[in-house]
Amino acid sequence: MLCEKCGKYHATTHIRTVVNGVAKEQNLCDYCAAGEGLNVTPKSIFASMFGEMLELKPQNMKRCHVCNSSFNDIAKSGKAGCSECYKTFKAELLPYLKRVHGSTHHIGKTPENKDSINELKTELKRLVHEEKYEQAAVLRDKIKEMEADSRE
Amino acid sequence: MSSWYTDKDNRNFSVLSTRIRLARNLGGMPFPYKMTDADREELKTKVKNAVKNSNSPLISTLKYIDMADVPDTKIKAMVERHVISPEFATFKNSAIILSEDESISIMVGEEDHIRIQVVLAGLQLENAYEIAEQVDRLLNDSLEFAYDSELGFLTECPTNLGTGLRASVMMHLPLLESTRKLNSLCENIAKIGFTVRGIYGEGSKSSASLYQISNQITLGISEKNAIDNLTLIATQLTEKEIQTEDEIDRISLEDKIFRALGILQNCRILTSAEMMNLLSLINLGLRMGIIKEDYEPVRLLIDAKPYMLMDKYGDLTPDERDVKRAEYVREHLKPTM
Repeated sequence: MLCEKCGKYHATTHIRTVVNGVAKEQNLCDYCAAGEGLNVTPKSIFASMFGEMLELKPQNMKRCHVCNSSFNDIAKSGKAGCSECYKTFKAELLPYLKRVHGSTHHIGKTPENKDSINELKTELKRLVHEEKYEQAAVLRDKIKEMEADSRE
Repeated sequence: MSSWYTDKDNRNFSVLSTRIRLARNLGGMPFPYKMTDADREELKTKVKNAVKNSNSPLISTLKYIDMADVPDTKIKAMVERHVISPEFATFKNSAIILSEDESISIMVGEEDHIRIQVVLAGLQLENAYEIAEQVDRLLNDSLEFAYDSELGFLTECPTNLGTGLRASVMMHLPLLESTRKLNSLCENIAKIGFTVRGIYGEGSKSSASLYQISNQITLGISEKNAIDNLTLIATQLTEKEIQTEDEIDRISLEDKIFRALGILQNCRILTSAEMMNLLSLINLGLRMGIIKEDYEPVRLLIDAKPYMLMDKYGDLTPDERDVKRAEYVREHLKPTM
């Protein structure tokens, strides 16, 4: 079946609305559906399900300090505003992540840079603790350089 | 090296293609749906520089393209040959880094800051992941990815958290579909965290018996595990599809296949939908050895899509396209006698 709007593409999105008992059906292609703000790909269905699973909590006024998202924003959109949101709202999100993925612990690849920087930071703490300041200063500069590199 | 749909060396009549996608984001920057134009510019510059300054051998084949410079027809043709996602085509102010053969695409400013995609012909999940992993390392050399030791790689949508990996295969399963065996198989596949969907999306009837199978879970499952499981599923589905050949009425199937070939070799007007259904039969005929000629139905399927045709022949009305499509298909399925 071709899209009812553009007539060019296969209709992939079937929208059924019932207004005052009158049912209306529309068949749109990916592009027209996206144009209507109805990007109902399987992924976004899953995303909106995720949003629905999260309960809106009007009393929770906590906001992410980077992107200013509230937990309700995440629940409504099914999307986090930035990576910091996961830190800010981890406790709230964990039960739902468990339901979606069946797990809350990552297994698999870790980023290389971050791990090595973190390792060096641990090493730096140890050197400072042992009062090896000269070595610590060299290492501190190296970490700064690595962090600057990764931000460029 | 050729694109996935023209690569004859790795061609597989059941597993048409393999796709690996890794979702990555940068820290200290809002996720794409909250990004301003300035953020998007900054993101594009960062990724562009990360590739430019890398010393990985991969970069010689990679090319940075700002999507604003790509005409609409070309963008839609890219979607049709699976180089970019349909969603990516709708985003403004985005960029792509593409390898020469288009097997590697790095989408910048999709649902996540960075989406690494590798598409190969046939069943090649391990190879595709290895390439994606190299691209990931290349970018990670200079970019710091948002990562949490507990939740893994952080993504805009929580359904991609963890590995950020979506591994998928596109399969042609006409016999499992027509004998209605696929439904119960799908249920079992769903139980181990994978989904099967018609190539045109969930809830819609699959066109041309094409199905996409991919992992649904990304948190708590390693990349290797996801890839091994999917390879196993694809292998088993292929076996079951071939076993079903014994249960069907061979002569009536042969009749259908040769009639399809007859239409494709002689038609003067061919719609996209009709072409897909007929090419599906040609692909089955090739797999079963009923058709002996060296035809490339998947190549035709992609090449004769609406925007692919317009990219090649210029603007065409839908009617003109159907005529051009018939011409193109006839040319490629010429009888060998």
